[in-house]
Amino acid sequence: MFTPSLDRRIKRTALGITGTLLAAALVTYFGMHNRVTDVGYRPQQPVPFSHKLHVGELGIKCLYCHAGVERSAHSPIPTVSTCMGCHLVIKAESPRLALVREAYETGKPLEWRRVHKLPDYVHFNHARHIRAGIDCASCHGPVERMGVVSQVSPLSMGWCLDCHRNPERHIIPAREISGIFTATATSSVVQLAESRPVTNPPYGLWQTPVPAQAIPGVPTPKLPGRGPESCSACHY
Amino acid sequence: MEWLRQVRWWYIPAGLLGGAVALFWILVLAGQITWFSEQPPLQVIADMDDQFRVDPQEPSRFFADRRSFRIPPEGTVPRDGRSYPFSQAELAQAEATFNKPPFPSSEYVLAFGRNRYEIFCSPCHGADGKGNGPVVQRGFVPPPDLTRPQARAYSDARIFHVISAGQNIMPSYASKLTEAERWAVVYYVRQLQQQGSSKQEQVASAVLSPEQHQ
Repeated sequence: MFTPSLDRRIKRTALGITGTLLAAALVTYFGMHNRVTDVGYRPQQPVPFSHKLHVGELGIKCLYCHAGVERSAHSPIPTVSTCMGCHLVIKAESPRLALVREAYETGKPLEWRRVHKLPDYVHFNHARHIRAGIDCASCHGPVERMGVVSQVSPLSMGWCLDCHRNPERHIIPAREISGIFTATATSSVVQLAESRPVTNPPYGLWQTPVPAQAIPGVPTPKLPGRGPESCSACHY
Repeated sequence: MEWLRQVRWWYIPAGLLGGAVALFWILVLAGQITWFSEQPPLQVIADMDDQFRVDPQEPSRFFADRRSFRIPPEGTVPRDGRSYPFSQAELAQAEATFNKPPFPSSEYVLAFGRNRYEIFCSPCHGADGKGNGPVVQRGFVPPPDLTRPQARAYSDARIFHVISAGQNIMPSYASKLTEAERWAVVYYVRQLQQQGSSKQEQVASAVLSPEQHQ
């Protein structure tokens, strides 16, 4: 229709535009996923606290500082008085701990940067997962080997559901280092509690038996089972 | 074979390099290579990810001191129980008030006490209670031996009081351990004192099987 040179130019342009659009679509589709945008987030903290030193080398368990995670939806960042329990004596003059000492003396909060954050319309309950003996590392990765904590899991909805549907494939059972009380000998094989649907037809809402409390005031560990898949389990 | 004559020698390294770069980006996009970044995650569509409320321990945008956890007024009592009312010096009052554990000892309680002890006590007191934990080896003041005769003579309430109120340089653990947990630790410390070195095997056999506690 056109001259051969113009024809060639039109073809080339069309090919270029299609290719660019295709590449952009691929990058957007795959690159905007949490496993690319969120995994690897490793903010610099105001105090260079090393989990590798405190947990990996000294063997202080996760629950020593993050106490309360068994009883609360939120896993608490420790108070500075927890730090100062030891650092009143050890490395008491260290310039790296200047902000901790300042916070301890003045009461002005020390603002750590948050690494793991779910959207505000999701309600994740730490206590419930800890009670089922699911190790911290299942979601947070091997924190005891991290000098600076980074996010290792995408924390996307698909990733949550993968584990709710097939816990035995994803759960890391409670390890010694986390300090989670299991009342059972820690084994490498995940033992799952029997779960049964509570809705009929089963719309993804599963229930595992919850043991009665053995000590008043202290919840008894339960075995992990299939997690619920209904919307209202997490979005309420 | 005409096209082969047009191939230059540098086509091969250039092709390999281009392929490696393409492979790298494909792996990054597939989430197989972790790209570490100090920048907060890129958020293309914010949805309602960040709503106008404070998460626990999030800095407050409302209060001038940026605390979202407000300091409770003087004399506030926690909703779920008692806060520990005694200071380190008030041992006599503590022994009168908390004179008896609220539940009896059992294998389950001892296993739980051991778990709590190894989290909260063993960093200083050591797994065997002799006062040689990893923190002490790093230069902390060595705590006294928990299994020495004087400590064996302590009442349960006194051990409970020391855990709750602290002693000398030891801080209070009342905010980390609930009352029930502290009593479980008391039972376990008692067991440490009785057994000395043979405790590891004994407690390992006391741990329950999953059927027993369901």
